[in-house]
Amino acid sequence: MGIEIFYFLIFPGLLFSGIMGGFISWVDRKITARVQFRQGPPLLQPLYDFVKLFAKETIIPSNGSITTFILAPLFALFGATISAVFILLPVLGVETGFTAGIIVILYLLNIPAISYIIGALASGNPLAAVGASREMKLILSYELPLILVLISVIIKSGMAIRFSDIVTYQLTHGAFIGSLSGIMGFVTILMCIQAKMGLVPFDMAEGEGEICDGIIIEFSGSILAIFKLTKYIMFLALPAFVSGLFFGGLSLSGINILWSILKVFAVVLLITLIRNTNPRVRIEQAMKFFWLWMNLIAVICVILAVLGI
Amino acid sequence: MIDFQMLIIMPIVIGVVLFLLPDNLKIIKGVISLLISAYTAYLSVMVFSLPHQFIATLGSINWLYIPGFEKFMDLKVDGLSKLIVLFIGIFGFLYSLYSLSYNRRRAPNSEPNHIPGNYHTYYLITLGASFGVALTDNLLLFVFLWGLLGLTLYKLIKGHNEESSAAAKKTLVLIGASDSVLILGIGLLYICSHTFKISDIHLGTTTTLSTVAFLSLLIACMTKAGAFPFHTWIPDYTKDAPASISAYLPASLDKLLGIYFLARMCMSTFILSGWVTLLLLIIGALTIITSVLMALVQHNYKRLLGYCAVSQVGYMITGLALGTPLGIAGGLFHMVNHAIYKGGLFLTAGSVEKHTGKEELGELGGLCKYMPVTFAAALVFALSISGIPPLNGFYSKWMIYTGIIEFGSGKGIANQLWMIWLTLAMLGSSLTLASFVKLISGIYLGRKNEQIGTVKEVGFPMFFPQIFLAMLCIAFGIFAARWVIPEFFEFTGIGSWKSLPGLWNAPSVSIMILISIIVGFIIYWMGTLKTSRRSDSFVGGEKLQQELSFSSLEFYKTIGTMKFFNYFYDKANKKWFDVYHLGKECVLGLSSALSVCHTGILSTYVVWVVLGVATIMVLLII
Repeated sequence: MGIEIFYFLIFPGLLFSGIMGGFISWVDRKITARVQFRQGPPLLQPLYDFVKLFAKETIIPSNGSITTFILAPLFALFGATISAVFILLPVLGVETGFTAGIIVILYLLNIPAISYIIGALASGNPLAAVGASREMKLILSYELPLILVLISVIIKSGMAIRFSDIVTYQLTHGAFIGSLSGIMGFVTILMCIQAKMGLVPFDMAEGEGEICDGIIIEFSGSILAIFKLTKYIMFLALPAFVSGLFFGGLSLSGINILWSILKVFAVVLLITLIRNTNPRVRIEQAMKFFWLWMNLIAVICVILAVLGI
Repeated sequence: MIDFQMLIIMPIVIGVVLFLLPDNLKIIKGVISLLISAYTAYLSVMVFSLPHQFIATLGSINWLYIPGFEKFMDLKVDGLSKLIVLFIGIFGFLYSLYSLSYNRRRAPNSEPNHIPGNYHTYYLITLGASFGVALTDNLLLFVFLWGLLGLTLYKLIKGHNEESSAAAKKTLVLIGASDSVLILGIGLLYICSHTFKISDIHLGTTTTLSTVAFLSLLIACMTKAGAFPFHTWIPDYTKDAPASISAYLPASLDKLLGIYFLARMCMSTFILSGWVTLLLLIIGALTIITSVLMALVQHNYKRLLGYCAVSQVGYMITGLALGTPLGIAGGLFHMVNHAIYKGGLFLTAGSVEKHTGKEELGELGGLCKYMPVTFAAALVFALSISGIPPLNGFYSKWMIYTGIIEFGSGKGIANQLWMIWLTLAMLGSSLTLASFVKLISGIYLGRKNEQIGTVKEVGFPMFFPQIFLAMLCIAFGIFAARWVIPEFFEFTGIGSWKSLPGLWNAPSVSIMILISIIVGFIIYWMGTLKTSRRSDSFVGGEKLQQELSFSSLEFYKTIGTMKFFNYFYDKANKKWFDVYHLGKECVLGLSSALSVCHTGILSTYVVWVVLGVATIMVLLII
């Protein structure tokens, strides 16, 4: 039990992925700034953001349910951290009995979004309700392509459902990105994590300009700090998940560190560039995009995987 | 040695005796029914501790000394029936307790209550008959008790207006028709195997006769449990029946018994061929998706729950159809889990209905402040049915998903199509989540609707079953691998599976939830939460007015307006997918065609008679 708590709280859980995720979010902001010909924030800016929120006043909506409103971000933090643990342990090649199947990880990754939906609805703010309904429709949109991509990965790795087996399979048989179905799967899952992170063009649940941050409109002070922390952790967990599924995992020994950083960096770079070069789409456009185009690609990807291409 | 014939006889006899008491003695009747159900719950726990393959008889009720009577009265306790009996006992007691308070007067300004007459009589008869169905080893006794359940189901809904009368009639017609198909199936089964003893029948589904027998029994199970396309009575029934009855029959007992009989058929009575497996999987997948899509657009919360109750049956059928130990265990575990959380959801719905008098999602909102316990329980049930880890609904669904992947390594056509079953099952789960976000937000979250008067938390008899079932949801989810499955589901006939543990470590993860909450509160404590200020919602600087709201009914309108879904919903609203409606149209069409012949002109009739006699003559001569 002790070692599991260590995994959860220190490495690769809360502390490690919080710090690394903060760093990645700095990279994201720095690239964004360079794209827009700005200077960009200093390295410690994510930390400043997090700490600053502790000093800020916390306002609780007078209409909603306080308990639900306060507890929801904690469940989101739990969901992000536990999925980071289950993703990073196999991806980094740590041998342990504390593992999870790929389907379990998929469902754990959904917990943050669901917690925010419930938290936002508990605030009683109509704008938050609009955001929550958009977030829910977004989940419905990207869930199907995500499931199909995972199925193609399961087929390619010889019906393995343990995430660590999928990673080790690629060590001996080559990374899945090297095949046509792998490339198609990668493109699909990239779009899905763009939506999962709530980044442009799929940030309609937050939509700063129209619904004043939507689902997080009522969160403030230390509650918002937890929200930020969850976001940082997801910024590490999702790219690591993709690199485990398609690039054969990461490694922290010798020269491999450089490779690992490059793999994660490549995914983050793609996400950031997509978010900087696209406008926000409307929710029904996003739904159409996922249900029609992404599903089409994902279905072809599954068929190709069955054929072994 | 316990006399567990009493399990069947006592509720039925006492139920009939309650007929004699006048209906104004509701409280006395309720208390009697509570005592009886408490005693049968105790007996069912005793039955659960009996050894496997225990055989008994109900022959001692042969008061008229009919010769040969005993051989139809065989009872048999094995792992599967023990499980069903235990849960029937538990649910019987909890819902009886709930009814005590639920059946009493309503909110002052609401409509009169729609509790059917002789409620407790039919409640107890249902209880006894259900125990009988689970325990009997004889097909004739089985079909008698099964039919009795259909009748009590009909008597437990009150036709107080046109809509509810139509719902009651629809239920009776569909259940009755399926019972007649069941009798046909049992007849065919007798022709094939020359015995009525369930445990002696082992048939393949290779010959036409046995396949037809299997399909007939399958239709009976599907109608009882509510699987596509025979599910259409459930949403109508749950909308108008008392919530305690919706929880009792369509949500719990009908599922337990329908799936119990299907499991018995799949596990021992029949040996499934590849095509039958494929058929079952198609039914399962269609049931999951079609009903949950309908649930998504409902405005009445009891109807929404009814559609979700149908959708979950798809998972059970899928699990059983796989035929692997993991799949069957997953299907049965899902059956029990479903009975727990769907029963619970109907109870919470009943509490809301009783205290507000409203049944539409659009008329409610913001109740979490006034009914915190009901809200907490409903949230647990909703998350559980949506398959959120670490609750029980997740565990059983996940067993089914893993079972499907494992099944995919096989050779048959159904095996090769595993990705379709998996995709639809997992998609169904997220659609369920979407419909429950709508339900929870519409009833409990958001702002309170001004039209609702003062609302207070429910009393103990309604409060206890909700909390108890919510606790079961959490406990069954966390201790599934360590305790629940070895204790309840690892009986003979299922086999065992050892590859599961290690893929999902629910107890450790649950401890992590506690740790995150503690860490989170430390962060809050370090921050400014203790000096927090309460303020009205921010809506872009405008003053927040009562009219300014985003109703949960609007949530999925976008989906309904999309071309493909619009077409589907349009056809569903015209009842194209409703077997009852289609059957009615066929019968009415046929009778209007026949009515053309009935012109009322004597000479035409004479011509018909002469023609008929001539035809018969010709046939006889040939």
